[in-house]
Amino acid sequence: MAVAVEYYLLLSAAVFCTGVFGVLTRENALMFLISVELMLNSANINLVAFSHFYGNATGQVFSLFVIALAAAEVAVGLGIILVLYRNFDDVDVTNATTMRW
Amino acid sequence: MAGAFDFTAAVPLLPFAAFLIALIVGHFAPRLLPKGGAIPGILATAGSLLISAWLALTVSQGDYHTETIYTWVVGQNTFDLHFGVLVDPLSAMMLVIVSLVAFLVHVFSLGYMNDEGETGLPRYYAGLGLFTFSMLAFVVADNLLMAFMFFELVGLCSYLLIGFHFREAGPPSAAKKAFLVTRFGDYFFLIGVVGVLATFGTSRFLAVSEGVESFPHLAEQALLAAQGEGATPEHVAGFLDVVGFEPQTWFAILGLLILGGVIGKSAQFPLHTWLPDAMEGPTPVSALIHAATMVAAGVYLVARMYGFYALLPTVLAIIALVGGFTALFAATMGVVKDELKQVLAYSTISQYGYMMLGLGAGGYIAATFHLMTHAFFKALLFLGAGSVIIAMHHNEDMWDMGGLKEKMPVTYYTFLSGSLALAGIVPFAGFWSKDEVLYEALIYGSGESPILLAGYAMGLLAVFFTGFYTFRMVFLTFHGDARTDTAEDPHGVGWNVKFPLVVLGVLAATVGLINMTPVAKLTGAHIEYLKDWLAGPQGSAFANIGYEHYHHLLVDFAGYGADESLGVLVPAAVSLGLALAGAGLAWRLYSVPEPVEHTEKLGSIKTVLYNNYYQDEYQVWLAEGVTLPLARAADTFDQGIIDGVVNGVSSVSLFAGGRIKRIQDGLVTHYAALLTLSLVALLVAFGLLGGWF
Repeated sequence: MAVAVEYYLLLSAAVFCTGVFGVLTRENALMFLISVELMLNSANINLVAFSHFYGNATGQVFSLFVIALAAAEVAVGLGIILVLYRNFDDVDVTNATTMRW
Repeated sequence: MAGAFDFTAAVPLLPFAAFLIALIVGHFAPRLLPKGGAIPGILATAGSLLISAWLALTVSQGDYHTETIYTWVVGQNTFDLHFGVLVDPLSAMMLVIVSLVAFLVHVFSLGYMNDEGETGLPRYYAGLGLFTFSMLAFVVADNLLMAFMFFELVGLCSYLLIGFHFREAGPPSAAKKAFLVTRFGDYFFLIGVVGVLATFGTSRFLAVSEGVESFPHLAEQALLAAQGEGATPEHVAGFLDVVGFEPQTWFAILGLLILGGVIGKSAQFPLHTWLPDAMEGPTPVSALIHAATMVAAGVYLVARMYGFYALLPTVLAIIALVGGFTALFAATMGVVKDELKQVLAYSTISQYGYMMLGLGAGGYIAATFHLMTHAFFKALLFLGAGSVIIAMHHNEDMWDMGGLKEKMPVTYYTFLSGSLALAGIVPFAGFWSKDEVLYEALIYGSGESPILLAGYAMGLLAVFFTGFYTFRMVFLTFHGDARTDTAEDPHGVGWNVKFPLVVLGVLAATVGLINMTPVAKLTGAHIEYLKDWLAGPQGSAFANIGYEHYHHLLVDFAGYGADESLGVLVPAAVSLGLALAGAGLAWRLYSVPEPVEHTEKLGSIKTVLYNNYYQDEYQVWLAEGVTLPLARAADTFDQGIIDGVVNGVSSVSLFAGGRIKRIQDGLVTHYAALLTLSLVALLVAFGLLGGWF
């Protein structure tokens, strides 16, 4: 007995909201990265769930692309965080407010 | 074989080349320029004179010429704008006059400018060259727009030359005044040109080939149609519907607008005030301006498009009255002037008044004749005055002169010839032409158009004043005893001063003989050469710019009819008698060894005359009391209301921007929150509008 698709969607929504909450509340840049990963993975859950629901593999292939993209994103994100650390001696995003009016 | 007409364009272009040489060589290699640019100028004007004479000779064989040289705007479904030349008796005559006077003025300048050690000579000769070029090009113009362009260029050159001594206080101010006052008239002229182009779709004076039209002819057809003969030309009818006037009214408006330019340039009342001030320019320039170029341009323009004016009795009457009034008005002011050139300046205004009177009174030939004789005797008088000024070490006050007769006989006798011509004493040139102007005004006035009699009366009265001020000037300058040391021992003048004087002196005495109308009428002899010259050929397209055609228009459209019952002898005798009376009064008052001022006897009139009837004052008042507050109010409106709205809008957005920019605080979290909230808000909005809930 397969799990109904609604539950996957609920899980996906919950993970996505966790990610958004993390982005909005955390001050540590690394936590930002992790939260973004959460949001990406909630999208993956969605893709896989619908792929299974319709019996079509295209969604799963897409999720593989998303995983690859997430890896690349982490690489870039970590690079940014490194530069942030060099310039501000910290990875707290609330300190890096020089780009403003 | 190349005929004279192949060289028509060279007539104006030669002085233009002299202008370029004086300007470029004078700037980069002044040492290479002999006599500061005088030699190229003399050669160029001599060349123009020769070609003009050749053109005149060809024209006298009954061979006329018109040609489009260059079309500079090609219109689609509308009119083209082009440069072209028109060589007919009128323009050929004027070309000879202008190039002759320009040539003599160049020669005279050798004595007046070079020998007196003036600086800036290349600039001076460049100005003379450009001036001559503009006037010659204006004269040969075959359409009104081209005429307007060179009319403006003439005004610019007069500005440059009047202000030649720009380091002194007077000349720049006089130059500005001349430019602005004539510009004021030209403004109306410009509107008139646009009106003519819009109404007729052409500004040609004459159409000879297939498919082109001339505006006087179209106007004639439109007026004929209004009288019930034939049909109004399509384009004209269409435009008259737009403006909603009768053809007669609308053409009169156009004629008056163009007349605005004429009044400004020919220094007619009330735009005459620039001319006496223009005496600040070097004397040869005054001669050029007053005799052949600038001032003549206005009168020449009326003569050029006489086929248009002859259709409009109202405009003709205005021309005649303005002319007659100016003739009298300026002559009275000339009576009290102390400076030699000032007297001549007022006489110029007065004489151009006669020409306008002649044109307005239907005396096309008389006015053209006076234009020609005046060109010679006024150039002569100015150059004579220049010679006296050299002798007097640039003192122009006549009360410091006296007794120059023995010391400078050539100047005296030529000046006397010019003065006799100006005063209108038989048989000098001015008598024949002025008498003819007055005679035409009289016969048409007592014929069908009594309003011309008012012009005639003013013109006749002016004859007396002319005789008086002319001989007052002669007696004060040349007769009696020397009143100063300078006059006792005047500076000598060279051949380059005497040669132009002699040439013009002979012309001033004799040129009137080419059209002795009174003699012709009395004896029946066929000696009205100028009339034959201007009559125009019958049967060809050029007949439309001939005197015969104009006369026919005057009778048919303007309702002019001559009262042939008047003899020629009595009017001529009356004007000669008045001239002699004026001269005699001057002789009684001033031909004494020690003349004194008699102006005190005039009482309060003297003050009015000295102040030139307060013309400058009221014009300055108009400028300062009316125009300036108006401009100030407009400025306030512009700065306050128009700019206020614009500034208000911009300050609102500046203020809003200053507030709104604060949300960009550089905190990534806040940006992310805004993005999320906006997305949510967008979704909610879509949802509400899309009816999801």
